[in-house]
Amino acid sequence: MDPFALIRGVLDTTEGAARALVGRERLRLAVTGLSRAGKTVFLTSLIANLLAAGRGARTLPALDAAVGGRIRRVTIIPAGTETIPRFDPEAHLGALAANPPHWPERTEDFSTLSIAIDVERRTSLGGLLPERRVTLDLLDYPGEWLLDLPMLRQDYAAWSAATLIRLRQGVRATAAREFLAFIDSLPADAAAEDALAKRGYALYRDALRDCRDNHGLRFLQPGRFLNPGPRGEAPLLWFFPLPATAQGGLAALCARRYGAYLDDQRSNFLDPCFTRFHRQVVLVDVLGALHAGQEAFEDTAEALAAVASVVSGGNWLERMLGAAPTRVAFAATKADHVPSRARDSLAALVEHIATGARGRAEASGAATSFHALAAIRCTEDAVATLEGQNFAAIRGILLNEGRGATIYPGEVPMKPPEPAFWQSGFFRMPEFQPPRLDPAGTAGVPHLGMDGLLAWLLGDAL
Amino acid sequence: MKPRVILEEEPVAPAQRLDFGWDIAVAAAVPPDRRWSSLGLAGVGLSVLLLGFSLIGAGNFVAAQFAQAVWLGWVTLTVAVAGFGLVFAGIGREVRGYLALGTVDTVRAAHARGDVVALRGALQDWQARLPEGRTRAQGIAEMPIDAACALVEATSLAPISRDAEALGRAAAMQAFAMTAVSPSPALDVLVFSWRGVRLVRQVAALHGLRPGVVGTLSLLRRVAMDAATVAATDVAVDAVLRGVLSSRFAEHVAGETAAGAVAARRMILLARAADEACRVLPRR
Ligand SMILES: Nc1nc2c(ncn2[C@@H]2O[C@H](COP(=O)(O)OP(=O)(O)O)[C@@H](O)[C@H]2O)c(=O)[nH]1
Ligand SMILES: [Mg+2]
Repeated sequence: MDPFALIRGVLDTTEGAARALVGRERLRLAVTGLSRAGKTVFLTSLIANLLAAGRGARTLPALDAAVGGRIRRVTIIPAGTETIPRFDPEAHLGALAANPPHWPERTEDFSTLSIAIDVERRTSLGGLLPERRVTLDLLDYPGEWLLDLPMLRQDYAAWSAATLIRLRQGVRATAAREFLAFIDSLPADAAAEDALAKRGYALYRDALRDCRDNHGLRFLQPGRFLNPGPRGEAPLLWFFPLPATAQGGLAALCARRYGAYLDDQRSNFLDPCFTRFHRQVVLVDVLGALHAGQEAFEDTAEALAAVASVVSGGNWLERMLGAAPTRVAFAATKADHVPSRARDSLAALVEHIATGARGRAEASGAATSFHALAAIRCTEDAVATLEGQNFAAIRGILLNEGRGATIYPGEVPMKPPEPAFWQSGFFRMPEFQPPRLDPAGTAGVPHLGMDGLLAWLLGDAL
Repeated sequence: MKPRVILEEEPVAPAQRLDFGWDIAVAAAVPPDRRWSSLGLAGVGLSVLLLGFSLIGAGNFVAAQFAQAVWLGWVTLTVAVAGFGLVFAGIGREVRGYLALGTVDTVRAAHARGDVVALRGALQDWQARLPEGRTRAQGIAEMPIDAACALVEATSLAPISRDAEALGRAAAMQAFAMTAVSPSPALDVLVFSWRGVRLVRQVAALHGLRPGVVGTLSLLRRVAMDAATVAATDVAVDAVLRGVLSSRFAEHVAGETAAGAVAARRMILLARAADEACRVLPRR
């Protein structure tokens, strides 16, 4: 930890204590999740339902019960002069409610929003004292960038070695066939030619894209190769992993760009937005990983653990300064993709897929819990008759076809499945139309289990 | 069994989106109507007894006077009517002042609930009661409600806040001067309390509220609740305070009386808190 970070930490902690004294706490909530885990939809639903709860609607009954119905008002804090883009829940909600509906586009940049929750004080004389205001800071960002976090602790040589080992295994090896052939054919003392660097970059990036889009893999670094963000593809990105034997100018150039890339990500994204969290929720598309096969499932677990070691695990100093999250909730998203009786299995399965991540969080003293939720419930329970037998299934309206469909999502195991399970092959869950929604969101949005998660995550702070 | 998708028949019309009846399921519970507390009931009963019996007593007395001499009866009646008229006028004013405070709550509640119709109506009623000469937002009946709220804030509420702040500065100045010359701290407290109550009532008047004794008590309670909120924005208060104290006179005595600075700051805070407590729309 560098001295500036230490000073900043002490200042932040002092500010936190001062705010608590006057009943003006600030809670930073980290919503972490790999790409397509459902972060943007989760935030949209969270904000809409909290705002509705502030107007007295009973959209979050478990949270209401946890805080004894003391929530008085919830407002979005008006924009100041921040340079960081603003998360726009109204636009997302409007698109979801529109006809035809749209899910949020792939998130291309980070954005933030703060909401103020005014609560009555907990004491018996609470009604007479002024209300407390808890400010909840939220952050949305491309999930791919999350995997840049573990890179901050590696130098180029270590990162290259680890990445190449992974790249030569399983489906990655097929996806990266061309790239691997390219680096194998490079002479060890290849010169710092930009044409070579660009070629290697393009091949490596295409391999990463193939892994993400066609094989459901998630442990893919660096993040901006997959999602270049608002500034597009800059020369900064023209690098790729090289084996330790490569010692020429090209290797030196790649190492330089690796360092510059991390500096850039650190100063533009990670340091301003991604430090000092009080609470964390880890969203996992467990079902998607399960349907994408064994390799994708294990890869997701590994990626989660790698991210957790940075986000949830503080060192002793950070913990003492209150800079590491004290509560970490793991949640399986899109729980409406399984019938209600399978949701407990989903929550149990997220516990297993997040074993590594959980270990890191608990090692740094955080409390953990596991949930299954649907930020926006899009289906109802149904029965599917397959080969003469009845199975619990779900029914929803497909987004692209505009037709109703009954879907049997397969069996959801309570723990990592046996090898035989994986024989059933790859299945891609179709996208559903969201249910009928009020574009202004006066009544919040239909969800499953958001309230239970929030009650555990925020209940003690309100 | 493998996962699978079973498509339904191609529908004639596009399939309806699912509807879980969410709006109805989560609709806010109607707040239970507030009942009278037993103490309140007893108080009202006592007032009815006092007033009722004194009315009957007065009636009897007037009748007796008429029996003695007609002119004596008329004089007694005039005195009784004038006396009771003043008493009832006083009570009426108290009640009106108290109820006006309640309308602030009505508007705020409608705003918090997002009840557009009620909010629009309540805002119009409130505008009608603003003191003469205060600018009012025009045409709020036609525009979208958030635009109407923003306009009310800009045309009426923001100027009122500025005036309230000016009142606060004047009171701060006086409080400061007072500590500089006052002979005893005990006297300070008395004078401050009186000046504070007057300040709160002045600010309330800006908002079109003219609370009587009961109203003022209720208003003071609300101000006390908002004072802590305002204290959190102390930085702004400090800036204003520096403005006030930089006058030559203040500089001259500032060294002798730190208590004066504290008192002055309280007045500025109080003006803000009172403004906060009387606003129909929460500050943005
Ligand atoms: N049925 C259902 N689908 C969801 C839900 N949340 C997310 N999705 C789907 O998952 C996709 C990705 O979600 P998004 O929030 O953009 O993921 P992000 O990359 O983590 O921000 C969306 O386009 C939806 O199709 C949910 O609660 N229910
Ligand atoms: Mg997103």
